[in-house]
Amino acid sequence: MTDQGPAVRLGIQLDPAGDPAAAVELAVTAERLGYDLVIVPGPAEGGWDPWTLLSWIAGRTDRIRLVAAGTDGATAPALLARAAASLDLLVPGRLVLGVAGDGPGPLPDAGVPVWRSGDEHPDLELAGSTADGWIGHLDGSGTHWLQKRLRLLDQAAVRAGRDPRELQRVITLCGVLTDSPTPAEGCLDGPAERWIADLAPLVVEHGVSTFVLRADDATAADRLERFARDVAPGLHEAAARALAAGVLAARPLRRADVRARRRPGIDYDGLPGSLAATAVEPGDAGFGAVRSTYLRGGNPGLVLRPGTVAEVADAVAFARRHQHLPLGVRSGGHGISGRSTNDGGLVIDVGALDRIEVLDERRRLVRIGPGARWKEVALALQPHGWALTSGDYGGVGVGGLATAGGIGFLGRKQGLTIDHLRAVELVLADGSSVRATDSEHPELFWAVRGAGANFGIATAFEFAVDEVPEVGWAQLAFRVDDPAAFLVEFGRVTTAAPRETTPNLIMGGTGVAQLMAMVASDDPDVVLAQLEPFARLAPLVQQQVVIAPYAAIMNMFPDAPHAGVGEPVSRSGLVRALTPEVATASATLLDSGAVHWFQLRSMGGAIADVVPEATAFAHRDAAFSITAMGANAQRVDRWWNGLRPHLSGSYLSFESDPSPDRVPEAFPPRTLARLRALKAELDPTTLFRDNFSVAAAVPTGSSA
Amino acid sequence: MTDYGHDLLFGTFVTPASARPQHAVEQAVVAERAGLDLVTFQDHPYVATFHDTWTLIAYAAARTERIRLTANVTNLPLRLPAVLARTVATADVLSGGRIELGLGAGAFWDGIEAMGGRRLGPGESIEALEEAVTIIRGLWDVEQRGGLTVAGRHYAVHGAERGPAPAHRPGIWIGAYKPRILRTTGRIGDGWLPSVQYLPGGVTDLAGMNGHIDEGAAAAGRDPRDIRRFLNLAGDFGATSRGFLQGPPDQWVEELTDLTLTYGTSGFVLASDDTATTELFAAEVAPAVRSEVARERG
Ligand SMILES: Cc1cc2nc3c(=O)[nH]c(=O)nc-3n(C[C@H](O)[C@H](O)[C@H](O)COP(=O)(O)OP(=O)(O)OC[C@H]3O[C@@H](n4cnc5c(N)ncnc54)[C@H](O)[C@@H]3O)c2cc1C
Repeated sequence: MTDQGPAVRLGIQLDPAGDPAAAVELAVTAERLGYDLVIVPGPAEGGWDPWTLLSWIAGRTDRIRLVAAGTDGATAPALLARAAASLDLLVPGRLVLGVAGDGPGPLPDAGVPVWRSGDEHPDLELAGSTADGWIGHLDGSGTHWLQKRLRLLDQAAVRAGRDPRELQRVITLCGVLTDSPTPAEGCLDGPAERWIADLAPLVVEHGVSTFVLRADDATAADRLERFARDVAPGLHEAAARALAAGVLAARPLRRADVRARRRPGIDYDGLPGSLAATAVEPGDAGFGAVRSTYLRGGNPGLVLRPGTVAEVADAVAFARRHQHLPLGVRSGGHGISGRSTNDGGLVIDVGALDRIEVLDERRRLVRIGPGARWKEVALALQPHGWALTSGDYGGVGVGGLATAGGIGFLGRKQGLTIDHLRAVELVLADGSSVRATDSEHPELFWAVRGAGANFGIATAFEFAVDEVPEVGWAQLAFRVDDPAAFLVEFGRVTTAAPRETTPNLIMGGTGVAQLMAMVASDDPDVVLAQLEPFARLAPLVQQQVVIAPYAAIMNMFPDAPHAGVGEPVSRSGLVRALTPEVATASATLLDSGAVHWFQLRSMGGAIADVVPEATAFAHRDAAFSITAMGANAQRVDRWWNGLRPHLSGSYLSFESDPSPDRVPEAFPPRTLARLRALKAELDPTTLFRDNFSVAAAVPTGSSA
Repeated sequence: MTDYGHDLLFGTFVTPASARPQHAVEQAVVAERAGLDLVTFQDHPYVATFHDTWTLIAYAAARTERIRLTANVTNLPLRLPAVLARTVATADVLSGGRIELGLGAGAFWDGIEAMGGRRLGPGESIEALEEAVTIIRGLWDVEQRGGLTVAGRHYAVHGAERGPAPAHRPGIWIGAYKPRILRTTGRIGDGWLPSVQYLPGGVTDLAGMNGHIDEGAAAAGRDPRDIRRFLNLAGDFGATSRGFLQGPPDQWVEELTDLTLTYGTSGFVLASDDTATTELFAAEVAPAVRSEVARERG
């Protein structure tokens, strides 16, 4: 088992009366030196506001945990709860609230850990029975006195029916590290060996995890460095010698009430230290925010949130040990076909890999992490005057879309999103990390562009993007009396339109159609001229046309939390033309009331310039993608089946049916054969199977 | 019709929604990068889906270098003045003098009560505001010897130790609409921070409201120019004109220039949660209004 969590962690306690800028400097230095936490004590009279100092430090650091000690009393409890919740959202998992003595806990249930301090019996009783941690102090009374306190804490925990290991034990130190032994009692004045000898029993026998230096003079920065260099490694070694491997890194345990909600078949305690810190399990406070996706309710047993490629590899290794469970891979959480959440299984969420950087200004080459959202990509490209077609919804993640296709608002002008891909980096099922381009692993590069979810977890994409000045953007609403005739007309006008224009159509059962169209031009005359034939499709009930940056369109919709419930029912089909047959079957479907969402995205143009063999997305002859969503799969299918004979294929991203019958619809025979061969080579045990697995059983229906 | 002759400030008014926790912070960074002077955040502590505004401000201030920040406006009934004074001073020192204090007497009293605040009548809340300002400025004033004692009806401090001192003198900008609080603003405020959508008669109301402020200032022996006139704006950019601040940037420039010359408005704070709008405002509107105003003032 990999055990990367440090057994002995270090902290620093700031001086509430000192210069605040110096305090911030120390916190930054501590983080750089690998310290785990910084304690900001309660206010001194006429002194700085500790909460503001803490929030500022949060903004200037990336990792170090922030302990707000002595928050009780200063502010109204309800307001403190809000403030704590805010900081916990801004810097997830980094905030701890400290409560002194036996004062009331500030937040019964805000999900932020509470550490208590205080040496009296009632303090220890309360800490042991309820808190997530205890902060003790080493002072002139020596370590024996402290050991007695730690025993009382254990006893209180046991009396309350808790596993004492649930409590994090943090000790602030006193003393000066010197080169020569000095006879002082109590405080740890003396050389590093003496510190190590005195502190090791606290770690080994009492489970102390963290030692905190007090930064109360000008030499604090030096002392921080010396302690990290001269004491910590020796202490770690001494403790590791005395204890079984992994024992220290696993501390503190999650509380019993949290552990009680664990799901069977998951080796929670075997999670490598690299992933443990950010993993979320069902009893954790953060679970509500990660369990479901945008459209799908879920209840996974463990959500892993790797922050580096190495951690993705660790997560894949962990998943390989859990092949008996569902595995979901998540980037932006907007999946429809992909099961990026599940019930009782694992989720590997690479949302943290969300960097967007320009690699080469001249070639307009950008590198984008899978966790970025398309709205963020658009914003990042805008200052350069660039844009990359993605989809019609800015909240969608890069990882899911760029491994499947990407039918977007600049599609007829720019092609699919995958057509701009120049390189992709993935962690494969065996944990290795590869870069695929036209020349390196070309077969994998081909496969990722349409069936990427089958082959690994993409950790970075490199795209060549286009210069796009502002664009024309129209929202037109029509009154539609004869939907079939309207659809045929819409098809005719779209096919005749120049490829600058990419329209999307949403039809309701109520006789209203909404058209959203982008025109890749900032010339009002061009925009109006290209929209004109659309405006004449039917009587307009509403119209709006603006010239705006592409990023403004991508950021048009506000963010919504990912609180999907149940399973989405979505059907996807591609057609080569909006023939009267397609139009009639669509109108019947609309009329049935079985679908609440019916959308056409136009294709063709540059999408059709690419030969079918070039990418695993092969349906290059499609003119439209049709999506229908409803509440009940059987009802939807009763009417959707009327459309099926007219479909030339499907775009997997909009298909929620997990049946193997759907796989050949997304991949024509030769594509599927190639994909299966590569799947057998790269993922022989079918680890990746949450999204149109090509290794799935042979279709039950008509074969391809 | 008065132009108070202030230099112009431009900023944004950002919703502190916490659903995407970093969004409001990014908007502060965007405003700074776009060259705006100011980023401000609503403060509605009783709205569960919002960040705590002063936590957000401290954090956002740490992620920026140059831009000034404030709550727009701080909900006083839910903040202890002594704590607020310390919060502002601490953030001001850490940020090198970039924090201002937008302050309101309170609105949405149901929400305030639900959070444990006390419901006050209009007269009382103005009185409370005035006491709070006395306490806040008193605590900032470390030059004064001895502790601070203010025996107010709503807030009282007895020999409170002064400090910490802020790095600069944070402006106290008051959100006010009715005559009495406008006169109070004239007497004690450094700025006036109303929102255009709460002006019953639209921008033409500014003339009368300025009058009340000026009257309050005069009664206290102050120069009306001691109170900077801000305005929170709502608008949309578009190709064609559809109303006040709804249209192309040129139209905005004309309308805002007119506000400065006619009503003395010198701080324009645009409600914007999106990068494109903020950038457009900073690039196409702010500099043009500045030069138009300079030209007209001669
Ligand atoms: C409101 C809405 C509008 C949409 N509009 C469009 C549109 O206009 N055009 C269009 O083309 N699509 C559109 N889509 C479909 C969208 O592209 C897919 O649902 C896509 O999978 C979402 O990506 P994600 O990263 O947000 O999803 P997630 O839920 O995070 O992932 C979905 C699936 O993608 C795979 N996956 C995710 N990350 C990775 C990775 N890093 N490596 C390998 N595989 C990965 C997994 O199989 C996963 O189950 C839309 C979806 C929604 C919900």
